[in-house]
Amino acid sequence: MGAGWRQLSLYSLVKSLADNKQLLGMRYAEWCIAAPTLEADIAAAAMGLDDIGHSRVLYGSLRELGTPDGAVDDAENYANVPYLDRPWTEWAEFVAANAVLDNAFTLMIEALANGNVEVLRSRLKKMLQEERYHTLHGRSWMHEVNTGPALARAWRESLEWIGPENGDVDELHRGGQLVHGVRDLRRLLEERLEGQAAPTALEWGSWEPIRRRTRAGGIDQATLEMLQGLAEKRYMPASG
Amino acid sequence: MRYTRVHTDVYEYQVFARKTRVDPLHQVGSVVAPDDDLAMAYARATYDEERWVEMMIVPKAAVISLWAPGGDS
Repeated sequence: MGAGWRQLSLYSLVKSLADNKQLLGMRYAEWCIAAPTLEADIAAAAMGLDDIGHSRVLYGSLRELGTPDGAVDDAENYANVPYLDRPWTEWAEFVAANAVLDNAFTLMIEALANGNVEVLRSRLKKMLQEERYHTLHGRSWMHEVNTGPALARAWRESLEWIGPENGDVDELHRGGQLVHGVRDLRRLLEERLEGQAAPTALEWGSWEPIRRRTRAGGIDQATLEMLQGLAEKRYMPASG
Repeated sequence: MRYTRVHTDVYEYQVFARKTRVDPLHQVGSVVAPDDDLAMAYARATYDEERWVEMMIVPKAAVISLWAPGGDS
C-alpha cells in the first residue's frame, strides 16, 4: 500500500462523491421512459434529479475543502466508478446500482454529514432524507429482479470506491471528518443488502487513489461535455 | 436478462398529504406497487411536486367504505 493513499485530501473524496452522484443521476434519468412500469419510470426521473441536485451541492462545497490532489476538469480525471462509465442496457443493472452503489454513496454522505466539517454538516443532511426513498426503491426491486452479476460488480466497485483499510478514508475518520471508517462503511453496506454474499479478496494493486477505482478507462469526452453543460453551448445563439 | 413488464402481484395504495399543519390530510392520488417500500418510493416520486409537510400512504384494501356513489344509501 502506498503512503500517498493516506495523504489524499477531503477535497478528492468529496469531488469523487460529486462526480459519481452526477453521473448516477444521469444514468437514472436515461431510464425515465424505459423502466418496467410507469411508476418506475417516474421514480427513475425523480431519483435522477435528486442525485444531480446532490452533486451540485457537493461541487459547491469543494472550495471550502482545500485543494485538489490532481487535475479535475477532464474526462480522465472524472472520478467515477467503472459501473457508470457506459449506459446500462438491462434493468437489472439499474436495480443493482440503485441498491448497492447509491447506498454506498449515501453511507459516505452520512459519514460526512456527521463529521466535524461544518460546511458538510450543514449542507448534506437533507440529502439523507431524499436518499431514504432511493434505498426503499432499490431494496424492493432487489426482491423482484435477479441482479446476479450486476449486483456482484456493483458491490465490488462500491468497496473499491470506499477504498482500502488504512487509506485516506480511515485517515479522515481518525481526524473526525468522517464518522465512519472503511470497516464501518463495509459493514453498514452489507447490512443494507440483507444477506447477499459480499465480495471477497479485493485486489488493490491497480487502485487509482483519486478516481477510487481499479479498472482503467472512464467516461468519454461527449459524456463529460454533457455533464459539464458544455454540450448545451452548441445551441446558444452566436454572440454578435 | 429478461424481466416481466409488470409485477405479478401488486396492490393499490392511496396517497394522502397536506401542505400545512392546520390543513386536513386529503387524498392526492394513488400508486400501484408490490410492497410498502416501493409504494412509498413511488408515492414520493410521483406526488412530490408540492411542498407537503406530511404525506402518507394507505393500502386501499385497508380502507372500509361506509357508502359510495351508486350505492344503496
